[in-house]
Amino acid sequence: MSANAGAGEAEADRELIITRSFDAPARLLFAAWSKPEHLKKWFGPVGYPVTMCEMDFRVGGQWRAAMTGPSGTQQTPFGGEYLEIVPNRKIVFTNGFELAGAEKMIMTVTFDEKDGTTLLTIRTLFASIAQKATHVGAGMAEGIASGLDQLTDVVAALKAAA
Amino acid sequence: MQQLDLVFSALADPTRRAILARLAKGEATVNELVGPSDLSQPTISKHLKVLERAGLVSRGREAQFRPVRLNAAPLEGAAEWLGDYRRFWEESLDRLDVYVKELKRKEGRHVSKRRRR
Repeated sequence: MSANAGAGEAEADRELIITRSFDAPARLLFAAWSKPEHLKKWFGPVGYPVTMCEMDFRVGGQWRAAMTGPSGTQQTPFGGEYLEIVPNRKIVFTNGFELAGAEKMIMTVTFDEKDGTTLLTIRTLFASIAQKATHVGAGMAEGIASGLDQLTDVVAALKAAA
Repeated sequence: MQQLDLVFSALADPTRRAILARLAKGEATVNELVGPSDLSQPTISKHLKVLERAGLVSRGREAQFRPVRLNAAPLEGAAEWLGDYRRFWEESLDRLDVYVKELKRKEGRHVSKRRRR
């Protein structure tokens, strides 16, 4: 598989869309996505604070971030490049782990404000169906699914043994 | 193929997962791996090559026995890719909802201050 393994796969099979409505104006939500000091306040699940975040918030600029888990070790950083920025409306950027061979996904975040309420849409376009399966678990081969279950067990056993 | 692809395709096969599970308990020779399975030595060796290429196992130097051992590092890299992507975002957006309300409240205070002036 090469970096563009998914190039021949239909986008509809590689995407995931998450939406959420906020009782706030689009410009506040846009700010929350475009400044490190804001992003650090909300990005990531509870217990995994963002402990490193750098943003060169302009088209062609890079961003990177990393979270620290309950063990206190900073996790593999992830990041990418800003592809499109429409103030208070839209941010398009690439996102992937800083690991050898890691594929990048393309994230399109749109902010649609109406009567003081903003609909936030996060569209993730994975590089390939395989990458989507790894992250989302949808439509993946059963073999890989159980492989991942087992992987979790193996890693847990290794950590316990270490 | 890239490292992570090699790791995931290596893990897609139940025989190879069984080999890894066995090696998680300690190193073993090829014969010891063949022992409990219904598979031939060449078949096991073929699976070991796939695992070796993915960096998941390494072989000892002693030509005769060459014990196989598990390498944890690529597994940990792969494990970071696990987890529920959707849940990650849903939890983040829950926090964003709280944070953006706070921003709004702060902004409201600034506005009323300005009005008072």
